[in-house]
Amino acid sequence: MFKRLSLLLSLALLVAMLLLISMPMSSVAQDAEPTAIVGAFGGGETKISYWNGLTGSDGVTMNEMLAQFADENPEFEVTSEIIPWNTLYAKLQAAFVANQPPDLVLMHASEVPQFASFGVLMDLGPWYVGGGGWFDENDISSITYEGMQYQGVTYAIPLDNHGRGLWINTDMFEAAGIDTDPATVPTNYEDWVTLLQALTLDANGNNAADSSFDAENVVQWGYVVGEWPRVNFLSALAQHGGEMVSAEGQITVNSDAGMAALQQAVDLVYEYNVSPPPAGFDTWQGFASGSVAVIPTGTWFRNFAVDQTDINGTAWPQVQFGPQPATWFGIHAFMLPAMSTPEKAAAVQTLLQWISANQVTWAGSGQVPALLSAQAALDAENYPSNILLGQTFTDYGILDYQSTAVQEMYAALDPELDAALNNLKSVEDALNDAAERMQQVLDRAM
Amino acid sequence: MNHSKNAKNARARRFSLSLKSREILAAYAFLAPFMAFFLIFVVRAVVEAVRMSFYDWHILRPMRPYIGIDNYLELVNDSVWWISLQNTIVFTVLTVIGTTIVALAAAVAVTRPIRGQGFFRVLLYMPSLLSVGAVGLIWVWLLNTQFGIINYGLSFIGIRPVNWLGDPNLVIPSLSLTTIWWGFGFPMLIFIAGLQGIPEQLYEAARIDGGSDRDLFLYITLPLLRPTILFVTVTGVISHFQVYGQPFIMTTGGPGRSSYSLIFYLYQIAWTAFRMGYGAAVAVCIAVIMAVLTSVQFLVLSRRIEY
Repeated sequence: MFKRLSLLLSLALLVAMLLLISMPMSSVAQDAEPTAIVGAFGGGETKISYWNGLTGSDGVTMNEMLAQFADENPEFEVTSEIIPWNTLYAKLQAAFVANQPPDLVLMHASEVPQFASFGVLMDLGPWYVGGGGWFDENDISSITYEGMQYQGVTYAIPLDNHGRGLWINTDMFEAAGIDTDPATVPTNYEDWVTLLQALTLDANGNNAADSSFDAENVVQWGYVVGEWPRVNFLSALAQHGGEMVSAEGQITVNSDAGMAALQQAVDLVYEYNVSPPPAGFDTWQGFASGSVAVIPTGTWFRNFAVDQTDINGTAWPQVQFGPQPATWFGIHAFMLPAMSTPEKAAAVQTLLQWISANQVTWAGSGQVPALLSAQAALDAENYPSNILLGQTFTDYGILDYQSTAVQEMYAALDPELDAALNNLKSVEDALNDAAERMQQVLDRAM
Repeated sequence: MNHSKNAKNARARRFSLSLKSREILAAYAFLAPFMAFFLIFVVRAVVEAVRMSFYDWHILRPMRPYIGIDNYLELVNDSVWWISLQNTIVFTVLTVIGTTIVALAAAVAVTRPIRGQGFFRVLLYMPSLLSVGAVGLIWVWLLNTQFGIINYGLSFIGIRPVNWLGDPNLVIPSLSLTTIWWGFGFPMLIFIAGLQGIPEQLYEAARIDGGSDRDLFLYITLPLLRPTILFVTVTGVISHFQVYGQPFIMTTGGPGRSSYSLIFYLYQIAWTAFRMGYGAAVAVCIAVIMAVLTSVQFLVLSRRIEY
């Protein structure tokens, strides 16, 4: 009897495991279009190896563009490798040491100082109009152009501006009687709290402003503070007039502005009950499953929201918790190894000219084209989020601090923000600890 | 006559020595390929890592100044190192104990003459075949607070959703649970081999003397499995002390730094900050700690081993 029971139980366990492994995890995964990790496009004699970290739906768009390029230019073959960003940067270092870097790499502008300081990047100044080339520096914003440079030398060609904004569940807004027009977005912390409380519901249908609200039994969250807390913090820090590093080279994340910025985020969780703690809460799946009303995300969220969820949503500008608006944004930019041969550089230049001329197509990934002319060519019907968020980057966007050690500083900051948001440390302790470690990093880099 | 005999003996001695020498040479010849790889890819790497730990060594920076023991002094004052060490020790203790108990129990269960014995052995060994990436992703979903099947199951008995990977007190045990499920298959095989090596007559004699199943296990099986337990725990400590994939995939070290492991931190230093010199110092210290732990285990567990 016991043997038979254990056999049946084991079989049931095995079947359950196989089902679990084979079944789609959610409706999101069910509809997801897989991105080819390594793709070869074309079959021509001129070969280009290209690395990037576009692991999301933007990778699909990039691969489609490469396929189109290869169709129009049959003499080329482009091999594209998609590698998660952190791994890409590590792998790239090893590739440079081994003298085997790719012919072309897409990186973030924040990486320009680090790799440029090693002397491994090619000076692309001559490719700009000002240097006698073809890429018009007057057709990109000045902040984008600055992001391509390190110590006065231009090392990169920008592809896009991608940055912070919100995605809202319009059905939840309408149910709460809140206007979804981005023009009505609150511009101070108190109004945001009021809005988010109205969108946070417990199992009995009470919202977070209601005295009978059950904070232990929330079924719909107004907001999620756990969605990439660092860029939320950097945005809020700037909104309060702060900065990560002062002009004197002092880390100032623990300034009054920093304390206020992080305390506001912490209070959304523990004071106003409008956000779950970050740990253990999957923000994207939360939005996709209809349990989050407002997700602070970015331009890259568009295709996920539209193609991979059933949620009726739209983009909104970044929250404004401080006295002035500010939102973080980054730049995807193309770079070449300094050791490229003239022939290889010429081949890559042809590809980049083609991609730059087709930046409107890249907007299909959700990102905002870097070229102002491409931004102007976007139509409001097909690219509403690109236009809305792109305008905020132009108006009040902030970039990462330019330093050869910015990633190491972030590695010191991220766990402290996480600790504060999960109530493991006070805001003051977390930011002081972060500042101490970040200062050590900065001092070493200087 | 004597002269001829002596000459013959001398030739024989020469032949004998020559044969011995040839045997030695043959042994070294067989060892040579492995030794070459071992010297180039292990010994040289270890020596290089120790040397690197005395430099401010950045992978792409041409200047690599000698800084003496500064990296080690920095390590002593590095709070994240101590947090990571503490987490790693807790994880290793939980996982090694858990894996040993589960593997031994499973081995005892599938060594009994039951129908479908082979099927059960394969079933229990199967998780070991998965990669850490697959295991991590599966368990992230199983333990997910919102959508996890474990919390869903617990809800039927009135337990509110547990934040397995988000609670600083639960995250290491959760990673340990995942690792036990993933890793007990191989030690189970070792235990099966150990159990099969215990003479059946010992059990028969004990049963004749009135020993219960519990007595047989405690006074025959366990003592005779001591060498196997030593092997399983030593290899377990070495393996689990180097845990990296589970925190990297399942928690990225969080919440806060509650699940930072030593190798996770080492990776951050070496491949996020690209500080190879400091990373090498961390690696050297990890190796020393593991050597000490292994020695202590040998000292404690190798006593009264009956081979």
